[in-house]
Amino acid sequence: MSSPDPLRRHAGPPEPGAIRPFHLPPVVSHSRGDGLRVLSLTRPEIPLASGCIVLDAGETTAPADRGGLAVLAGDILTGGTESRNAAELAEALERLGVSLRVSTGWDATTMSFTTLADRLDDTLEVVAEVLESAVFPEAEVERVRRQRLAAIRQRRMDPGQLASDELNRTLFSPEHPYHRGLSGETESVEAIQRSEVVSFAHRRYRPDRAGFILVGDLAAEQVQEAAERHLERWTGQVDTLPEISEEKLPEARPVVLVHRPGAVQSEIRIGQVGPARSLEGEAELDVGNAVLGGSFTSRLNLNLREKHGFTYGVRSGFARRRHSGLFSIGTAVQTEVTMAALQEAFFEFRRYLAHGPDADEVRQARDYLAGVFPLRMETAPQLAARMAELHIFGLPLEYHHGYRERIRAVTTESIHRVLGRILDPERCAVVIAGDADELQAPLEALGLGEVEVRSGDGATAGVSS
Amino acid sequence: MLSFSFERHTLDNGLTVILAPDRAVPVVALNLWYGVGSRNERPGRTGFAHLFEHMMFQGSAHVPKNRHFELVEGAGGSLNATTWFDRTNYFETLPSHHLDLALWLESDRMGWLLPAMTQEKLDNQRDVVLNERRERYENQPYGDWDERLQRMVFPEDHPYHHTVIGSAEDIAAADLDDVAEFFQVYYAPNNAVLTLTGDLDPALALDRVREYFGEIPRGDQVPPIPGRLDPGERIGGTVRETVRARVPLPRVYLGSRVPPFTVDDFYAADVATSVLSDGRASRLYERLVRERGIAKDVVSYAFPLATGRSFMISWITGYPESDPAELETALAAELEGLTDVSDGEVERALALAETRFLRQVAQLATRADMFSMSEQLLGDAGRLNTEMERLRAVTPAQVRDFAERCLGADNRAVLTYLPEEEA
Repeated sequence: MSSPDPLRRHAGPPEPGAIRPFHLPPVVSHSRGDGLRVLSLTRPEIPLASGCIVLDAGETTAPADRGGLAVLAGDILTGGTESRNAAELAEALERLGVSLRVSTGWDATTMSFTTLADRLDDTLEVVAEVLESAVFPEAEVERVRRQRLAAIRQRRMDPGQLASDELNRTLFSPEHPYHRGLSGETESVEAIQRSEVVSFAHRRYRPDRAGFILVGDLAAEQVQEAAERHLERWTGQVDTLPEISEEKLPEARPVVLVHRPGAVQSEIRIGQVGPARSLEGEAELDVGNAVLGGSFTSRLNLNLREKHGFTYGVRSGFARRRHSGLFSIGTAVQTEVTMAALQEAFFEFRRYLAHGPDADEVRQARDYLAGVFPLRMETAPQLAARMAELHIFGLPLEYHHGYRERIRAVTTESIHRVLGRILDPERCAVVIAGDADELQAPLEALGLGEVEVRSGDGATAGVSS
Repeated sequence: MLSFSFERHTLDNGLTVILAPDRAVPVVALNLWYGVGSRNERPGRTGFAHLFEHMMFQGSAHVPKNRHFELVEGAGGSLNATTWFDRTNYFETLPSHHLDLALWLESDRMGWLLPAMTQEKLDNQRDVVLNERRERYENQPYGDWDERLQRMVFPEDHPYHHTVIGSAEDIAAADLDDVAEFFQVYYAPNNAVLTLTGDLDPALALDRVREYFGEIPRGDQVPPIPGRLDPGERIGGTVRETVRARVPLPRVYLGSRVPPFTVDDFYAADVATSVLSDGRASRLYERLVRERGIAKDVVSYAFPLATGRSFMISWITGYPESDPAELETALAAELEGLTDVSDGEVERALALAETRFLRQVAQLATRADMFSMSEQLLGDAGRLNTEMERLRAVTPAQVRDFAERCLGADNRAVLTYLPEEEA
């Protein structure tokens, strides 16, 4: 075959060909009389069906002194029903090739599954049985509690998770749910009674504010019919809870050093309270973050990794939740260069907030985010997860369909304005999990703020100024 | 049943090209496997294949430093590379109208990497890789488990004796001459498989591939893998090591030599690990986590490795008060106990494997990687079209036979981690 045009390797990157549009099928919503919301998206070419039940039972709905209750209850949800024990339930699903996963976040508990299309009815039958008649047996409560306590122990010894947990503890006041770890603390998990698990499930695992989401080769009517047929006996309402207040920024920057004796690296977090999830300014946050630290070619990564070799990588991001969100920059650096890395990170962060991004950077980040968007909507489980977000955060059904257009509308000015309103490098907390014997004196000398030293097990070891 | 159409071509310079169109979405995935991994490293240069992979992102003759990432991200693509025992793979997924960009970038670094190499770039990436080593291995609880277990499962002269990340000393010792030599020996078109999946016209795509890669000269024949490739079927006993370290919970790893990925016996190993730890009705979860409550978590898997023998790993994490000897005995008993595996257990494992397989191939990038892997390691690009049939052909008798041959005390490495005594 002959080449259509000769290769000019020296002329730089080739021109792109003709663009082919990406079409996302519509999301169809239907509400059952009692409030259960059915969301469906039809993808005829997919041999699998993926679905989830989204329950308004996130960890923020756990009582203040029972941190970890929502996570624990979610873990025990598949621990047995009135007619089958945990092993029999697992066996029935796994014979169908289905792993039923329950995951609990701050804003929801989600039960998700992926199945061959012709086994969907059999799968939903078991899912419905769990929703209608889970019994939370005593033995499962105790077993899962032990697992959860051991997992909390593991988190405390994982330097990255330790640093992230300590950042949340630093940014949010003790009254706020985000102050504690998502799965609670040792004391609160130990205190949970089985009766509280049962009562939590009774109050929160209810259809009126739940979502039933299904993606696959099924028309919207088929999905609605399946929901009616299988979830007919699942009834009731969740109780209402007081609103959670938005957390404020601190007056002075907190600086926390979490002592890990002999650590060869320092896990650094620079962070502050961010906005709750909403459409307002979201595109600016996404593009603005991609330039700062949300892509490989971000300012932070090119500086700390590609210029200085301080780290394997550095990322920044907005965690967006129903209530207060979180902005954070995170990296792990060799202990010896901790202060230099911190200075470079602050140099980039301050410069970015002061001047905003360049036009080229914005164009690059917009094209990146708009282009990778279809890659995040490729498979049935991915699509189901995206649709779950629509339900959890009350986003419009066309949210994803308009995403790329919103991204492309962002400008250097709008990013500068939105980020300037939200981020403040001078009030951002600094948390470092590393060897305090090496780090404390130079960190104090850096003058970022009063340094609080904590031990890795959560206690405060001392405050110096 | 599931079948992906594809074409296989070989260019004059030896580059194997797999083209697998799927035009459902306007996305194309490029996957390039080089037949070089940590198994090819010589003594004193462990970790070099991986360090070299980093250097492939530092620009080439016509691509300045950082431009590779900028161009792909700016085109709306995602990209990365990984190094493993038997191979190194490079991949990007992009909107399909940017296919030429991916071909231009990959061909430029396959053909013209060395003119862009500098000491400064090497020094920078050596620091990055040493920090990767610190982050993922040195500063992580149990982070050195694979280094220790591989040393126990494979003899010193076998290429799987050392890890992919390699030793910090060896990484620090690498110089520009190593980069040049490694590139010339291993990064040749005749040692690579290029796969494209997604929104493409095979005839046009082949034309473009020829245009971009055709002028790169064929390299010499790749030298044999150093060492003795057949370590023997079994370890020949039970070898033990106990480590006191900063870990939260006691954990016991069991390692065994198993048949390599390249023979059908490997499927029995794969099904065995699935019976053991895939899902909550699996043997290890059901018995050790749920019933006896001695394990916080359990894992079992077999690496798909091709050189002589492969490697099966199982571990059990206990609770703070666990007796490590009890953990070891319990886990070993379940592995040996597979000699009585039932039909129902194998059926359950196969049902889960089928759903997982369909999930994996639904992603263009994963499908492309599977094509490359099948071609590079098995010489059979279309293997994924028969993968489920092969798995379903595994009988309970084969799993029992596998357990009999491979999971006994004569083929076992035991690595135990215990939390350091509190001061």
